[in-house]
Amino acid sequence: MFDAEQLKQAVGDLDEDKVMEILREFVATNPSQEEAQQAVAACQSGMAIVGDLFEKEEYFVGDLIFAGELLTNAIEILKPVLGTASSAKIGKIVLGTVAGDLHDIGKNIFKSMAEAAGFEVFDLGIDQPPANFVNKVREVKPEIVGMSGVLTLALESMKDTVDALKEAGLRDSIKIIIGGNPVTKEACEQIGADAFTTNAAEGVKICQGWVK
Amino acid sequence: MTDIAALAQERTQIIADVLAGRIPKRVPVIPGITYEFAVEYAGLDLMTATWNPENFEPVCDKVCQDFYADVFPVIHLRFPALYKTLGAKNWVMGSQGFLQHPEVVGLLEEEYDEFIENPYNCIMEKVLPRIYKNLDTDPQTRSIVMAKAFYIFNEEFGNIGATAAKLSQKYGYGTANLFTAAPSAPFDFVADQLRGFRNMMLDVRRIPDKVEAAVKAATPLMIKMGWPATPLPNAAVFMPLHMAPFMREKDFARLYYPTFKETVEAFAKAGRQTLLFVEVDWMRYLDYLYDLPENTIMWFEFGDPKLVKEKLGKKHILTGFYPVTLLKTGTVQQCIDKAKEMLDILAPGGRYYFNFDKSPLTLDTVKPENLKAVLEYVAQNANY
Repeated sequence: MFDAEQLKQAVGDLDEDKVMEILREFVATNPSQEEAQQAVAACQSGMAIVGDLFEKEEYFVGDLIFAGELLTNAIEILKPVLGTASSAKIGKIVLGTVAGDLHDIGKNIFKSMAEAAGFEVFDLGIDQPPANFVNKVREVKPEIVGMSGVLTLALESMKDTVDALKEAGLRDSIKIIIGGNPVTKEACEQIGADAFTTNAAEGVKICQGWVK
Repeated sequence: MTDIAALAQERTQIIADVLAGRIPKRVPVIPGITYEFAVEYAGLDLMTATWNPENFEPVCDKVCQDFYADVFPVIHLRFPALYKTLGAKNWVMGSQGFLQHPEVVGLLEEEYDEFIENPYNCIMEKVLPRIYKNLDTDPQTRSIVMAKAFYIFNEEFGNIGATAAKLSQKYGYGTANLFTAAPSAPFDFVADQLRGFRNMMLDVRRIPDKVEAAVKAATPLMIKMGWPATPLPNAAVFMPLHMAPFMREKDFARLYYPTFKETVEAFAKAGRQTLLFVEVDWMRYLDYLYDLPENTIMWFEFGDPKLVKEKLGKKHILTGFYPVTLLKTGTVQQCIDKAKEMLDILAPGGRYYFNFDKSPLTLDTVKPENLKAVLEYVAQNANY
């Protein structure tokens, strides 16, 4: 077995060498699927520490990117012992960068942190027209839709996407969060979203609040 | 002297005053309106109109007629014909026709040493063919692609220069060029064009020594890129800053700041000011910005204008802060009130010209009547 607290802390510290060392030793003991799930859970708790430190401005966007990479690599090491067991999901998010905008770094950070928090994320990709959001929402019936954008022109596309979801009769069954450089409270109101953030960690907390 | 010539002279004078740190007669209004906005404002289609240089003059003329500015206000930096010819992966058109910079990797991790050893050769041999797919071919074809690309580049810039001069005469704009060249801070160059945003952030943690050496190796190239070959009045090198707000201060202090400072200092020593676009939030780094050469022009996006005025306002030239998104969400009165608030904070003592926190990108990013009202308000209500 492994020391869950130690693993969680090593992820929180973004100590890549230590995380990998703990996990390699753990995998070498040929653990059960259940134990492997506990290791995943410890890594995910470590991500929550990363999110907190980001909100306290001790970590920055570069650290969130590194944390996402660290978590991906950690799960990769655990894969052979994880088997088919999958942890319960706390909700579904349909996520994408809106039409006209090709930026995805912020979206990818949010995705990685939302997955670590237990969400199943359906990532549409960049430059996604409203119809693609509508179709995916119909198909997977998420609790939440996340729209991302960096350029100011994304605000208009976000509004178009919300309008399309309304027209499709899907708006009332979902919560909508918008994120990225240009979003503000006023823009959020005009777009008709439920929440906005320029901070991925805060965005994940808002989503957690919605599925409680 | 004609009224237009007198107006141009007055405008040139207030810009000269502000850039030299003297209190001008009034706050200069120097907005940057993107060509993409101008195209849509003139009723043309962004997808097709930016390919044809002949559209430039009538499109700009419409903006000059309708929006107040003390300097020719249209900024045209993104040329689809150029990037199409090169097969660019670093400048790509979005589905609505706006060219933008997606994440690219021009240099692989295992190529760091090659870049550090000889950055110019490495860029020519490895990076360019990777970022511009039409250069990834035999040397004969590549030289033809390059020749075509530079023909377009020269044609576009020649047209912009001639049109700006013509419209400046027509509208009595002041003489100034704050975009004589557009180099990056060396760290940003390595991040944006070579390693990509994501890889760079991983490299900073995993192989900081390589990053440091690569950034140092890129510095002479950035200085050369922005070098002021000919003296010009009221001129600045434009440097948009990118990665610093996403970094830890200790990484910034070691990997970003020293070569950034070296680059700005090199231009200052050669007699050219630098206009920094201080993107995102730099409030953590104000002491570093303070240490740059006197009269560096700093165009702020986010942050606390009061604090910046207090800390930097006696040494440097400030602009920005006005949230351009308000021009979309606010009423005319709210937009004017915000302009008044910015003037009250930033204008006292000079060393400030009016601009927004960033340029309106496309027509749907602002209400044109708000943009118009704010520029008029500042032009008429910011006398010293």
